[in-house]
Amino acid sequence: MIRVENLTKKYAGGEAVRGISFSVEKGEVVGFLGPNGAGKSTTMRILTGFLPATDGQIEVAGAKLPEESLLVRQRIGYMPENVPLYPEMRVEEFLEYRGRLKRVARKDITERVGLVLDQCGLSDVRKKIIGTLSKGFRQRVGLADALIHNPPLLILDEPTAGLDPHQIRSFRELIKDLGRDRTILLSTHILSEVEMVCGRAIIINRGKIEASDTLANLAKRVQSGALQIEVKADPVGAREKLAKLSEVGGVVELNRVGEWVSFEVTALPGKDIRGEVDGLIKRENWPLRDFRREKARLEDVFVELTQE
Amino acid sequence: MTRAFWTLWKREAGAILLSPIAWVLLTCMALINGFSFSQCVAYLGQGVRELTVMQIYFYIFHFWFLLIILVPILTMRLFSEEYKTGTIEMLLTAPVRDGDVILSKFAGAFSFYLLLWIPSLLGLAVFQIVTHNAVPVAWIPLGLSYLMVTLVGMLYLSIGLFTSVLSKNQAVSAMLSFTIIALLFFTGFLSYLVRDPGWREVLTYIFTLEQMRSFSAGQFDSRPVVFYLSGTVFFLCLTQRVMANRTLKG
Repeated sequence: MIRVENLTKKYAGGEAVRGISFSVEKGEVVGFLGPNGAGKSTTMRILTGFLPATDGQIEVAGAKLPEESLLVRQRIGYMPENVPLYPEMRVEEFLEYRGRLKRVARKDITERVGLVLDQCGLSDVRKKIIGTLSKGFRQRVGLADALIHNPPLLILDEPTAGLDPHQIRSFRELIKDLGRDRTILLSTHILSEVEMVCGRAIIINRGKIEASDTLANLAKRVQSGALQIEVKADPVGAREKLAKLSEVGGVVELNRVGEWVSFEVTALPGKDIRGEVDGLIKRENWPLRDFRREKARLEDVFVELTQE
Repeated sequence: MTRAFWTLWKREAGAILLSPIAWVLLTCMALINGFSFSQCVAYLGQGVRELTVMQIYFYIFHFWFLLIILVPILTMRLFSEEYKTGTIEMLLTAPVRDGDVILSKFAGAFSFYLLLWIPSLLGLAVFQIVTHNAVPVAWIPLGLSYLMVTLVGMLYLSIGLFTSVLSKNQAVSAMLSFTIIALLFFTGFLSYLVRDPGWREVLTYIFTLEQMRSFSAGQFDSRPVVFYLSGTVFFLCLTQRVMANRTLKG
């Protein structure tokens, strides 16, 4: 659906995107992740034909950019960051206008507008003036606009930015739903969003791609989680013994309650230390009352890959 | 014309009519035109026989003055507002050609511009009724006068459209187009001052007021028509160039 090779974008002040390559296959829901200013929006604007690239080959929805820009724009639904809309128009009127611009057949317009109003939960505000709508509803209007011509590919730039927790939740459900029969590329810097909605993440930092993989594989790339144990033992001795294990990267004492002491044991990258730690506890005959592994979160991956 | 053009034109014209500025402009235009028209009538009342009321009307200076200020106010928001609010991104990521966007914005402003002239026609109608059609309407000079108003409007509006694409700031756009339009308008007056006949010839060629005088007297001249039309096309093309380069970031 999207194929990008060596995409570079130079501004007068420097490079926003430095020779990135990635692809998104049909039917995928891909999260485009990165800290603020990493080049996410710039890349998306290039993919939608809004900005010209300085260099690189781009193919979106089966058409080449910039040569077939009109065709690309016809086949994608784009929701820009901050969702700019015409405040003086009514919701329904705006969607009809956008539908006509996006070449929805005259006879289908009313039906399409009704459909996306329903889909995006806008039926109750269809007659309202956009300028009077809350942020959450405006965001929905933006999504309805992206959907009006039933495009096979959706490009959403920070679709949940500025929403309250309820709105974020329902918006994610909506995106999940849409992902069933569409390809979606969405950018965000909220990691839990990607974990909930996307099958794959592309992490971009300072104009370069740091990683592009499924969430499970990404998690494997960093320490495979920390192990938390609570045992009855001599804190200093136990700590030393744990630290000596061959696959353990570090031990931190968390807390003491009476004779009980708890540790966080981290593994060396790519290692699973559960067996080794369990063996030690059995050898030493330490009474044990807590043993759990924290899963590596996307947040850890993100921080590790994008830190200065 | 494409379907996209009509869709965009409708929205442009709608946006202008829904803005308070439009109604303020219409009211001011009607007021000043009315005032100017009654002055013309008063002037005729002093026994002037060689000029018709419309000839005096189109030669009176304050209507031009109004035009120089009105056009920048009308055009300043066309692109600047879209860049400022970011709606340009939404607009240009729809499958529409830059040319359609530019022409529809131009046509939207131009439609409203034509609307602004209706009160002056009503003034003439009232005049004819009150005087029991004592002097029949001279249709050709009248038509030529409005043709001139239309042509001048097209050029000025295209200048306004061009300066609007240059800046996100509406005030900056308005000031720029005001300057260009005012310079263009007032340069013509230099023809009264220069001695060199060659220069005088050149200056008369762009002297709007003189062209208007001959048009409102019923004398058609193709040179101004070519001048204003080619000027309009020139500024529309410039607008297109700037937009294609997208030097502004939404």
